Amino acid sequence: MGLLDVINLDVIFGEAPQQVHAVKGVSFSVREGESYGIVGESGSGKSTVLRAICGLAPVSGGAIELGGREVVSPRGRDFYKTVQMVFQDPYASLHPRHTIDRVLAEPLAIQGFDNREERIERALSDVGLGPGFRFRFPHQLSGGQRQRVAVARALILEPKVLLLDEPTSALDASIQAEVLNLLDRLRAERGLTYVMVSHDLAVVAHMCDRLLVMQHGRAVEELTRDALRARTATTDYTRQLLAASEGYKPAEPK
Amino acid sequence: MSDTLLSVENLRVTYPTRKGPAEVVRGVSFTLGRERLAIVGESGSGKSQTGRAILGLTPKPGIVTADKLSFDGIDLRGAKPRQWRALRGARMSMVMQDPKFSLNPVMTVGAQIMEALAFHGRSSRAEKRDRALAMLEAVQIRDPKRVFDAYPHEISGGMGQRVMIAMMLVAEPDLMIADEPTSALDVTVQVEVLRILDQLVSEKGMGLVFISHDLRLVSTFCDRVLVMYAGRVVEELKASELHRAQHPYTRGLISCLPEIDTDVRPLPTLDRDASWAL
Repeated sequence: MGLLDVINLDVIFGEAPQQVHAVKGVSFSVREGESYGIVGESGSGKSTVLRAICGLAPVSGGAIELGGREVVSPRGRDFYKTVQMVFQDPYASLHPRHTIDRVLAEPLAIQGFDNREERIERALSDVGLGPGFRFRFPHQLSGGQRQRVAVARALILEPKVLLLDEPTSALDASIQAEVLNLLDRLRAERGLTYVMVSHDLAVVAHMCDRLLVMQHGRAVEELTRDALRARTATTDYTRQLLAASEGYKPAEPK
Repeated sequence: MSDTLLSVENLRVTYPTRKGPAEVVRGVSFTLGRERLAIVGESGSGKSQTGRAILGLTPKPGIVTADKLSFDGIDLRGAKPRQWRALRGARMSMVMQDPKFSLNPVMTVGAQIMEALAFHGRSSRAEKRDRALAMLEAVQIRDPKRVFDAYPHEISGGMGQRVMIAMMLVAEPDLMIADEPTSALDVTVQVEVLRILDQLVSEKGMGLVFISHDLRLVSTFCDRVLVMYAGRVVEELKASELHRAQHPYTRGLISCLPEIDTDVRPLPTLDRDASWAL
């Protein structure tokens, strides 16, 4: 049993004739302090798994357990104090008319934290943004800075688990490196547990100890970083992903 | 094979802003033969603006100037709309990044491909239909008849991108500018699309300008690479020699990518030097 267990999870959207079975019987277990990756192509259901964990998608079958206890729907306030999410697109996930100060103050107010001034300033400096950013609006920040704010917003509640949905896919390569380094450092400093979704095998291999490959809503294969490096993937699909991540190869002889 | 298809000298693109004119492409020069040339850079480096300027697609109020901008001996500077119409689509074309915004949502895929043929060359409806279907098949669409009659919203993103490529290729252009043609696609589909482009270059002798931010992809797919930073070409080199890049920006771009096999922690980040932008 881990800190976060997903047991035989099913996610079904919609009603009978147009039903979409987005996640089909996915199970995995994330230990405390571990960084766990989910990779797959678009439509594989990888983001839906994350959204189901934090209550943004329905749990149609199976269960999600946090610290051995099944989570309830709707999730309670204490759930969000333990689990926070960072979304894919920093251009869409910050309110365009709220200052950074307000973005960061809101979760503190909801959870009834004290010393809010101090916490906001510390949260900003933790992600490498100075106090000068506090009263800016999102449009006054670059993509990388926005994603830092999104990370700060998630971490300001001092959660144990961070759900990361493609945190760097909207960013340039050099900015991606900065954000990945930031996430790496914060995990080492605070013993955080990560569940990270990405389509980029190299990013997941860099960040995660273990990973799950998903395709068409199903878990295809679970492997460790070492197994990935040793290329001991057992399924064709994982091998295909690995080959594609190495760049273009002229048509192979048939 | 080495005849020059496109030559660009000192290309500049300027947009007027409230703070005075902003030059987004600043003196780019290159020549293109029948080969795969990559333009790489990060967002805002001017790579897409360069591609658009070549096709005369710089949106107003942008101003394009160049000492030389010629395609197969035709001077493109100050070309009349009539000349552009004869060139674009028929002899030079562009594949855009996102099929969702570049296909006409209220026209079937087939009608859009046939439209490209209608403007360029006279052929009967049945002929056009046959060529459109053949093209869809050539871009690895499994059920071309269904896709032919489908509207853009009825097909997936990967298929939409292949439809775009089919539409651009049906007139068999000599020059194709592909602006991040595969970055919206899944990696496994990406390989198929690249294979189609590769085939056209090697079999039909098309010239390809491949605009991308993905250095790893470019180094394995293209022949030559132009690296752009702040509107300028900072380095030009053979794709196979990318690992021997001299410019600190190129080197930084390569080294900041995480790799499956190595464990560099923390990842090197780019220290941007103000002098690169000069």
